[in-house]
Amino acid sequence: MPRLDQLSEIMRQSVVYFPCLENDTAPWVPWTKDLSTSKVALVSSAGLHLRGDKPFRRGDPTYRVIPSDSSTADVIDSHVSINWDRTGIYRDLNLVFPMDRMRELVDRKVIGSLSKDYYSFMGAQRDPRKIIEETGPQAAEALHAQDVDLVFLVPV
Amino acid sequence: MSVIARVFEEAGLPTVSIALIKEHAEKVKPSRALFVPFPHGYPLGKPNDAEFQHRVIANALELLQRPQGPVLEDFPEEAGPTELIHASAVTSTEEAIKKDAANEVTALRAFYERWIEDGNGRTAVGLSGIPQRRFRGMIRFLQDFAKGEETDMKERPADVPLPQYVRYCVDDLKAFFFESRMAQRPQDSEPELQTWFWGDTAGGRLVVAIAKYMVDTGDETMARVGNGIAQ
Repeated sequence: MPRLDQLSEIMRQSVVYFPCLENDTAPWVPWTKDLSTSKVALVSSAGLHLRGDKPFRRGDPTYRVIPSDSSTADVIDSHVSINWDRTGIYRDLNLVFPMDRMRELVDRKVIGSLSKDYYSFMGAQRDPRKIIEETGPQAAEALHAQDVDLVFLVPV
Repeated sequence: MSVIARVFEEAGLPTVSIALIKEHAEKVKPSRALFVPFPHGYPLGKPNDAEFQHRVIANALELLQRPQGPVLEDFPEEAGPTELIHASAVTSTEEAIKKDAANEVTALRAFYERWIEDGNGRTAVGLSGIPQRRFRGMIRFLQDFAKGEETDMKERPADVPLPQYVRYCVDDLKAFFFESRMAQRPQDSEPELQTWFWGDTAGGRLVVAIAKYMVDTGDETMARVGNGIAQ
């Protein structure tokens, strides 16, 4: 899960009635590359940003750039929600943004390299139109400019 | 998150996503998603367990081998706390009622500093821009705010409205208390930590008082921020 039967009633209702976009099909870019030589980018919807960068606000459709060589100590989050336990992210940022794991995968030669920059959005967007039409395509363009082969997306 | 995955895929970028709510992923249909049966806040399952996190990532990357999509598969292991204790579920202890949050901050400082040292500088404190050394002042500001008095902090940026800034201060206060406690009692479970904060500390009581004040003003913005501070 959140398996729905394990959530508080307020949270369960919020999940069940969340105004999701419903699609019949999925866009599909075939995977034709070798992972061990591919460049991978991390993208989060946990409202993460560098310490000192502009915090997110509720429903904020913009994104923040986090250089992939940042330390986990450089990154904080301004996700406005009390509906999840934050002690996990206090203990280990990799729980929501596996920066160290990605570096280890490069060392283990599972993936080829990391993009120069990672990106973070704010989740729980009730109206994602601006992300779909503006900020999402902008981030995609920035990822293309870095010759990214694969985007790994992690929610919160 | 699934929405962003689709935007990237439509722009020609292959994606792999982790999905926390299967029901949403089924509707939105990102191209390749691994459903993980973990609570919100725990998308990689277990903090400080690199190999568990690697298993989640490996299972997600494995989805690249599927010839067509959308792909939505389940991760087979469970992890993460199964309950989240909110403020309203905890009764304050008599001791907490007598305590002052500013003195608690002073008492916890050594543990907080140990937390930073042990975590190579990592701390979730930082949204307010108020240095930890001035947290006693931040507590006085929050106490005055909760009483409805006119108050402010010089660290508040001009473009951040006061209610939003109060929220950032509260987030810093929570992070400071929890991180200090985890340095003091690393073995405590998530429910034990939440029960301690909301029941045993004046800091937790202060956060509840701020939320109540903001909701009771009847102002829509204040109430929304208040509801996001404690429930």
